Amino acid sequence: MNDAVDISGASTDTLSMVDSANSVPSEGLSASERAPYGALYIHVPFCHKRCSYCDFATEAVPSTSSRLDTYTDLIVRSIHHASQSGDLSHIQTVYLGGGTPTYLGLRRLTSILYMLSLSMRLEPDVECSMEANPDSLTEPMVKDLWALGVNRISIGVQSFDDEVLQTLGRVHTAQQASDAIACAHTRFKNVSVDLMCGIPGQTTESFRSSVRRAIALGVTHVSVYPLTIEEGTPFDRMQQRGELAAVSDDLQAEQMVCACQELESAGFHRYEVASYARDGYECRHNCAYWTGIPYLGLGPSAVSMQQSDRRRVRLKDGVVVDSLDNRERCAEDLMLGMRMSGGVTDTMVGRAQILLPDVTHALADLQSQGLITHNGSCWCPTDRGWLCGNELYGALYNLAP
Amino acid sequence: MNTDPKHIRNFSIIAHIDHGKSTISDRILELTGTIAHRDMQSQVLDSMDIERERGITIKSQAVRVDYRADDGDVYHLNLIDTPGHVDFTYEVSRSLAACEGAVLVVDATQGVEAQTVANAMMAMNANLEVIPVINKIDLPSAEPERVKAEIEDGLAIPADDAVLTSGKTGVGVHDLLESVVYNIPAPTGDASAPLRALIFDSVFDSYRGVVVLVRIVEGTLPSRARIRMMATGCQATVEELGVRRPKEVPTDSLSVGEVGYVVTGLKDPCEVKVGDTITLADNPAEQPVPGYREVKPMVFTGLFPIETDQYPELRDALEKLQLNDPALLYDPETSHALGFGFRVGFLGLLHMEVVKERLEREFGLDLLATAPSVEYHVYTTNGEMISLHSPQDLPDPGEIDHVEEPFLVAKILVPPDYIGPVMELTVERRGEFVTMNYLSASTVEMIWNMPLSELIMDYFDRLKSNTKGYASLDYEFDEYRPSKMVKLDILLAGKPVDALSFIVHSDKAYERGRSLVLKLKDIIPRQLFEVPIQAAVGGRVLARETVRAKRKDVLAKCYGGDISRKRKLLEKQKQGKKRMKNIGNVEVPQDAFMAILKVDE
Repeated sequence: MNDAVDISGASTDTLSMVDSANSVPSEGLSASERAPYGALYIHVPFCHKRCSYCDFATEAVPSTSSRLDTYTDLIVRSIHHASQSGDLSHIQTVYLGGGTPTYLGLRRLTSILYMLSLSMRLEPDVECSMEANPDSLTEPMVKDLWALGVNRISIGVQSFDDEVLQTLGRVHTAQQASDAIACAHTRFKNVSVDLMCGIPGQTTESFRSSVRRAIALGVTHVSVYPLTIEEGTPFDRMQQRGELAAVSDDLQAEQMVCACQELESAGFHRYEVASYARDGYECRHNCAYWTGIPYLGLGPSAVSMQQSDRRRVRLKDGVVVDSLDNRERCAEDLMLGMRMSGGVTDTMVGRAQILLPDVTHALADLQSQGLITHNGSCWCPTDRGWLCGNELYGALYNLAP
Repeated sequence: MNTDPKHIRNFSIIAHIDHGKSTISDRILELTGTIAHRDMQSQVLDSMDIERERGITIKSQAVRVDYRADDGDVYHLNLIDTPGHVDFTYEVSRSLAACEGAVLVVDATQGVEAQTVANAMMAMNANLEVIPVINKIDLPSAEPERVKAEIEDGLAIPADDAVLTSGKTGVGVHDLLESVVYNIPAPTGDASAPLRALIFDSVFDSYRGVVVLVRIVEGTLPSRARIRMMATGCQATVEELGVRRPKEVPTDSLSVGEVGYVVTGLKDPCEVKVGDTITLADNPAEQPVPGYREVKPMVFTGLFPIETDQYPELRDALEKLQLNDPALLYDPETSHALGFGFRVGFLGLLHMEVVKERLEREFGLDLLATAPSVEYHVYTTNGEMISLHSPQDLPDPGEIDHVEEPFLVAKILVPPDYIGPVMELTVERRGEFVTMNYLSASTVEMIWNMPLSELIMDYFDRLKSNTKGYASLDYEFDEYRPSKMVKLDILLAGKPVDALSFIVHSDKAYERGRSLVLKLKDIIPRQLFEVPIQAAVGGRVLARETVRAKRKDVLAKCYGGDISRKRKLLEKQKQGKKRMKNIGNVEVPQDAFMAILKVDE
């Protein structure tokens, strides 16, 4: 599959990180040694068209391409293989992301989900999310996905402002986005939308009305991301040619604050730096990433995380890209914990202190910088901590240099 | 077996940068069989990496080549390579003093350029016979006739007999050597007079001690002789002497007109100075060769290791470099902002850059340089005079009677079209116009008095850019003059940062403070808190800007559990922070410390 998909720029970095993996075999930790996977991610690396800001591992292919079938076949077989090796026995959450999973079309998605339901326990208590784009989500698809065990839909709306959508290079319109949400609601209770802020030309008012529209349409979960101009994307090239205005950090901050105010006053709560949910609708799969639950990634460029009581290892396309000893893992847990509103508990800090004696000092520093606060029995990010997350994460990550 | 002076020719090759000085030297070594073609390493004479990379010569070199001329006789040609920068003017003048002639290389496509004029002037002032050479004639765009005319008009050097060469193909190199033999006078000098040997370079060798390059002006220097340095009075016994071809070949003696090396065995490089005269201890000459002067550093800067634990390594490295570079002086300095480091004295800005680069490259150090300063003479109210190298040491204003700063005589050669821009720039830099002479229709010599402190503030760069590269600059220390100098402090987040302070003329304090503060505002990244930047003189704030607190700094979507990618971004952020210096709790990029230099943009 590797040659079929553009794995954006990972190769050289991957090599250098393998060197540091030392004691870990290149294929990862052995099944007997590691804890079972709790989450499954299936990556669908295809789109109708690449958006101007996108640097994810995805590729625009015609919907008639035989690659879609080859890919589906591969995923079906790798699900079977994972099941045979017992990797799916403890899975609590499934996430089909991309790319654009819905671009595969109903027939192929059915094969995948059917195989999945044969290979693992896919009952209602297992969260099964799928990403969808407004332009490729159809009513028959909604019905079938639901019947096949999908219980959460995440729609890549990005904005309800057609001009902004055009800037982003999205193929759908605001109307299509509303329709897709309504369509999803015919079966699904748990519908999420992604919204972006900090887009050139996007005013805070435009962003605010997108947030309000999402709330009004009755979604249960909203993800909010500030646009980042990544190297090598069309946006990057446009910015270098001076065709795309830079958005000031101040404006991005204003919009992120606006999202928080609007959503919280509508009864959502922020449970992660970029995620807001109504009570009980937090994305459990998303939380697995931040709370150290091992996950299996299937499909090209999907990342898997394995851990034993000695190490935490991440693999991409079967190669170890990251191998952490217990100190590094501990620092990473602190950093990831701070992405969540629950933050880092005193118990975690107590345990971390054994491996990272500087942790108390670092937390006190962060508190004095106004990035975190001590709340009951845990350290949680403040509003500034949410906005200046890199400072916060960096300080904790650097505890294990 | 000494050579009859009539079969000796001593000359140097001078040129504007990139006109082919080094390739011509290489071809001469090759043609005379001094170095076999297979052993040729491009630009043999520039031995340091930095010299080769930057195409500049820092240390002088001397090579003897044996050349059988068309008249059938064998001549010993001593080719003396000279440093090519205004910082090393004194060294150049000593090297030229060891020669009777100079080969002036001019690019056949570029023609006469600023350094061509400056170098030719220097050679003519040293009464050398100048042989013009038009190089790179193999290029299709070569215009030897135009270049000849430029040499005649611009330099007043007859160019009818100019030699046409190509360092690349070797064409004309034979003609050049013939011209050297016939046009450059043989050395003269009384072989029986008491010894006078001019030292034109000195290097330190950890096994043999100080090794000098000399030109015998009068008399003979035998091996094992007891010698005396006429300026320093230091005595030594010659351990070995000989000629460089370019490998050292020992001989029994060096006699009048010859150029060679002398191993003195002295372990302290300070006892041997370039420009000094060697004579025999038991039969001394009465007068040294004229022109000796003490080389003193003119520009001072603080050098601090970025990693504070590299301080001992920096000290060792400076010690080692000083052995071969006695003009390099250093004293320990402590800065609140930067920790332990050294205040280092240099001949000029290029010297400073080269030394800093060598420290970083050859010794693996990461260094931070503060803005260069000059030596001020501070007269206190109780009548003392303090030589001030660092703004930090300036006494309280109440204790200062007056301050004097070094003034230069600056000589600028420029085509007449650029007189206006040079006037404008130099007056703005507190320069005082002295006089102006037309050297030719295309070259004007302007003489100025100006403060050295202004010259080191990117004056040379500005001069070059304002004259499209045509101006050449030469300067000499003139005198100390009283000036109204004040110390300008920069405060970050309310605290003065000693490493950013500098001394400035009071008329310019406001303007410099204002522009520096603006510049720092751009250089200092937004931090988690607001950072006020102030420029103040004696507690009075002249200018203020604020770097507003960072409001947002968060990475984008973390996709499909790809946390490795996020870690890499945090790693990048960490590397970025490493390159900054923490002052108090403000992260200051290294550029900030050099920003003072370029305040006029």
